[in-house]
Amino acid sequence: MSKTKQTLIYILQRLALMVLTFLVIFFICFALVRMLPVNPGQGMNDPETFWKMMVNQGRYRKVGNEYVAIPVLEQLGTFLKQLFDPTFKGSRLGYAYHVSGYWLESPASVLFSKMPPTILINIYSVIFSVPLGIGIGIFMALKKNKWEDTVLSILIMVTISVPSFVYAFMLQYLFAYVWQILPAQTASASAGWLSGEMFKSMLLPVLSMSFGSIAGYARYTRAELTEVLTSDFMLLARTKGLTRTQATVRHAFRNSLVPIFPMLLGEIISVLSGSLIIENIFGVNGVGAVYLNAITTRDYDVFQFVSMFYISIGLIGTLVVDISYGLVDPRIRMGSSK
Amino acid sequence: MAKHIVKNIAAVNAANSVEAKTFDSASFARGENEANLHDQAFETKPVSFLQDSFRRFAKNKGSIAAAIVILIIALFGLIVPIASPMAHVDPVHYPQGYSDANFSFVTPCLEIFHGSGFWDGSKKVTLNANAYRALQLDDSNHARYYGEGVRNQGKLGEVTYSVRVDTYAIGNKVVTVDSSVFEKVYAENKRLIAAGKKSIMKPLIDYTAYVDAYVEKMEKDGQGATIIASIKDKMTNYYAQNASVYYALSAQRSDGSYQDSIFYPANKDMERTSNNDQVAPLYSSSLYEEHNGQYTIRVDYFDYFTLVRGFKPYYAFGANEQGQDLFLRLAQGTRFSLLLGIGISAINLVIGLIWGAVSGYYGGNVDLVMERVTDIIANIPSIVILTVASIQFGHNAELKAAIGEQGVIVLAFLLAFVYSGWVGVAGTTRMQFYRFKGQEYVLASRTLGAKDRRLIFRHILPNAAGTLVTSSVLMIPGVIFSESSLSYLGIISFRSVGLSSIGVLLDEGNGNLQSNPHVLLFPCLIISLLMISFNLFGNGLRDAFNTSLKGAED
Repeated sequence: MSKTKQTLIYILQRLALMVLTFLVIFFICFALVRMLPVNPGQGMNDPETFWKMMVNQGRYRKVGNEYVAIPVLEQLGTFLKQLFDPTFKGSRLGYAYHVSGYWLESPASVLFSKMPPTILINIYSVIFSVPLGIGIGIFMALKKNKWEDTVLSILIMVTISVPSFVYAFMLQYLFAYVWQILPAQTASASAGWLSGEMFKSMLLPVLSMSFGSIAGYARYTRAELTEVLTSDFMLLARTKGLTRTQATVRHAFRNSLVPIFPMLLGEIISVLSGSLIIENIFGVNGVGAVYLNAITTRDYDVFQFVSMFYISIGLIGTLVVDISYGLVDPRIRMGSSK
Repeated sequence: MAKHIVKNIAAVNAANSVEAKTFDSASFARGENEANLHDQAFETKPVSFLQDSFRRFAKNKGSIAAAIVILIIALFGLIVPIASPMAHVDPVHYPQGYSDANFSFVTPCLEIFHGSGFWDGSKKVTLNANAYRALQLDDSNHARYYGEGVRNQGKLGEVTYSVRVDTYAIGNKVVTVDSSVFEKVYAENKRLIAAGKKSIMKPLIDYTAYVDAYVEKMEKDGQGATIIASIKDKMTNYYAQNASVYYALSAQRSDGSYQDSIFYPANKDMERTSNNDQVAPLYSSSLYEEHNGQYTIRVDYFDYFTLVRGFKPYYAFGANEQGQDLFLRLAQGTRFSLLLGIGISAINLVIGLIWGAVSGYYGGNVDLVMERVTDIIANIPSIVILTVASIQFGHNAELKAAIGEQGVIVLAFLLAFVYSGWVGVAGTTRMQFYRFKGQEYVLASRTLGAKDRRLIFRHILPNAAGTLVTSSVLMIPGVIFSESSLSYLGIISFRSVGLSSIGVLLDEGNGNLQSNPHVLLFPCLIISLLMISFNLFGNGLRDAFNTSLKGAED
């Protein structure tokens, strides 16, 4: 069997497995969430509409003047029927009942309207932390066991351990309150996503998210590069007359990128999911904020949708990372039995 | 001795060369050196696995330091709630535990640093001229600020003063006490006066008479009834709120009409004065008022507190909004967070161990099914489980009655973290079983008739002990971190049921970062220290249990 075909089959297998896992998780989450006691939220002000929606969604049935809950399995059936019914009018994924300003909107539109700030902050963070982290890692690997390496290793150990919200508080206190150089909260959407004001207000959340990832990348790059630098082919490269720089850049670095590249891909996919705590501290009106809002206000449809969104990002991320290992490095045969 | 043997052999050889010679038994010397022919015992002591691990661990200075830091933090969490006087206050006065709103947001203070400017409960503030004057005109026992205020002229001509105030010198307060406390204070006051020291009790302020007189003056000046009523109301309120204001007040005036916004110190003619010496005191003749066995007294609150409660109200880590001691709260919180972390990782260790052992030992279809289950479990985020569990349990009246409000929330948290936390441990155990179950020593034991249980627990599991202990230790900071983020975000509310954790303290600091950073500083410091130390400690353990590193650094 040709290698391409083998890889293709492997990818398809993994995809099928992923879809299966996703479905099982979805059913479990659905059952768990639908079993919770109902929370009318803003429906308190408009019970008639609220109950109408509940009946439409197949969660309650009107018996006389009473509303009676329908068993969860039956609810699941209704949900699936509505999902695949092309003639169905209304939101197939449920409604926002409590997330402020989104009364009876579809959870999908709530989520997508909150995406820009989250994506922006995460992209800035990736752009900032990846080159810096890899650069520090290379520097450490080249200076292995010298004092620079020791000092940086200790720093990295400390930086990775300290929680990101501690950096967030520190930066917010110093930059926003003591020196008053940067705003404490991110600018509102009206400022324009790519404006200078928005960028300036996003600096603090980006910085506080970056510390941990810079340290992570540096540690990982150092480990990979030192391993490659001590391998036999490097000795050969030097023996045949390459300078240290040539050997390092052309042979060692490219090889050490093999495990780092999939990690980068994973990071790029997770750009879509926001950090709950950082978004909370800096008032970013993003994906993390809407998730938190859905949890604290107990807006179940939004909560379930955003949860499934986070779960699918996690699943896709793992899949892409696994597959890209084989694509980046031809020596690795994914899924081979022996 | 060796020589002796050689001699014997020589004797035998010599004997062989002579044929058919008879020997009497005397020619043969019995070898006396049999003991010496045995193998020599090892002169070094045998090193067990644990001893070897410990030796490697002890060489790692970072891990030792980390272990000491963890120990100190754990002791802090254990000892402070026992030793702190604030943990043992009278529950009649403080049904919710110690708090004193008069000391709201006092900054961290150690008594020995008092007045040094560092960790001394002082705080640099910028005050308007009137507030600065109020600090100067104070008849309490403790100086309320250090040095002289620096005068700043604002752009619009307003004057402010930058001054370092002592947050603990909160001035005088009017308190109502029962007779036993009153007698105690009264006796101490007498003693202090006799000794020529500053008195605790201050004369009451007779402000009602003064306010009435001031109203008369305003009427004489021909002010409108509305503004008079408003000034009367606000002035009375001002006196009632600030027991340190012992002097006459006058309302702000512009072009002959009175304003009700600001009050200035006044002289005995009820006119505004900028000279502190001319300010007219309004002391009443009595030190106390008795009403139905309750005594109303005006006291220097710091001294009164020290006398009545039996300890000085110094807060090493400052206080929160309710005036609770952060030192005590943080100790309780650390204790609770550590307990949660250790408890959860212990439960996870047990579940993961059993699950991984079964899955790895039996393999085949059993393994396949168990692996799919763990796959699904690991992919459902614990935040979903936590949310669902806390709402579901919160609505369960029976459960609430059985284990209480606190129990319900702790149970939801435990469930969320035990639910998927063991997956990692199970994976490690499973791998260890795959590695060892096919080895010859296991086969040998099986041949000798050992049962599955014996093979699992006696022969295979001990090999995995090091890895498992390490991963369990590294799970503790993970749980503490998750707890703190979830509490901070308000997803779980240990706070609402009166429990204290590091996350709860972070949550209390939320929104106070600008004006009172100390509320966040210490919880952040403790959690950072815990994270760093646990990671260092865990890495040290991993290296210590890694037998392939034996002698690597010698």
